[in-house]
Amino acid sequence: MSVVPAQQGGGGSGGTSGLYDVLELVLDRGIVIDAFVRVSLVGIEILKIDVRVVVASVDTYLRFAEACNRLDLEAGPRKNPGLPDLVGEMTESGARGKSKGALSGAAQTISDAFNSARGDGDEEKTESSRSRGRSTSSRRKEEQE
Amino acid sequence: MSVYVYGITRSSHPGIPEKLGGVGDPPREVRAVASGKLVALVSEAPEDLKPKRRDLLAHQTVLSEAGAAGAVLPMRFGGVSPDEAAVVSVLSEREDHYLERLEALDEKVEYNIKASHDEEAVLHQVLADDPELRALSEANRNAGGGTYEQKLALGERIVAAVKQREARDAVVVQEALQDKSVGVSPGPESSGWLANISFLVDRGAAHTFVDAVERIKELHPHLVLQVNGPLPPYSFVE
Repeated sequence: MSVVPAQQGGGGSGGTSGLYDVLELVLDRGIVIDAFVRVSLVGIEILKIDVRVVVASVDTYLRFAEACNRLDLEAGPRKNPGLPDLVGEMTESGARGKSKGALSGAAQTISDAFNSARGDGDEEKTESSRSRGRSTSSRRKEEQE
Repeated sequence: MSVYVYGITRSSHPGIPEKLGGVGDPPREVRAVASGKLVALVSEAPEDLKPKRRDLLAHQTVLSEAGAAGAVLPMRFGGVSPDEAAVVSVLSEREDHYLERLEALDEKVEYNIKASHDEEAVLHQVLADDPELRALSEANRNAGGGTYEQKLALGERIVAAVKQREARDAVVVQEALQDKSVGVSPGPESSGWLANISFLVDRGAAHTFVDAVERIKELHPHLVLQVNGPLPPYSFVE
């Protein structure tokens, strides 16, 4: 996901690769001049919603409790070496990755909701389909459209 | 005729991207409107302008092209002036201010950093750090997942621990990078990352900055960091 600056010509045309990830800067930062009219931003409230934030709610509690149940403390890629005494009792859950599935599922639900609520042409649709699992190539393709 | 404004730069700017395609379909041609020592990059404003991908991208591209050749003050997307005369009068009214900002932003670029947790890795960490949580989690697991109430109780404590770590890691990210930059600006709060921070970086020191980001990744493998830059200095124009 990182953008290596060497591939971008000092803010040249390579700036396109990250438009999606800096949308909120283009829309929320930069000079505003009172004497000018601003284009209506209706239709991009999607920016306010992002499943990555951890919100205190019953749903989140349950989701995290489930994720803990599935957590494989032995096989984790970033296994903490300070846990040797736990390993024997916690090797049975082979469900690594399920928590990620839950996350992208939530993102999908939100983007579906937005698509059906708005449905105003293709461009809005691509803007609302923000989810963790999007591939860079599909994102690039959308941006070139 | 109304005029779409992309950004403001000096009239001495060596690479004003005139004739570049701007917003609209078909893309309206970018041109320069001059007043004193300043120039505004503008184009005709399409009547039905909305924040569509194509137009956002055009705005960003014009600023990136111009910014590659010299300092430019980016406008927020969507600024439309009723006519050219209004652009000229804004430029002359605020000339000193804009010249001062252009000087301050010479040879500077913005890098935006977004940080989130790798969920599995952070769960490993919070359980490793807290024996009580570990015991609770283990008890639930042994009970086949636990009752609804037990799950809620565990989940609530896990979420609290994760949120605490989010706050801590936001500080870690900012402190590791602010020394490598000449300005820091928190990003818009809406986007829900544990950290969304823009840094103003000397163009010549960009590699040092990016190296520092890589070091954070090595030291804190539970952090997922997204680097976007170099960007026009959106967060540092005021």
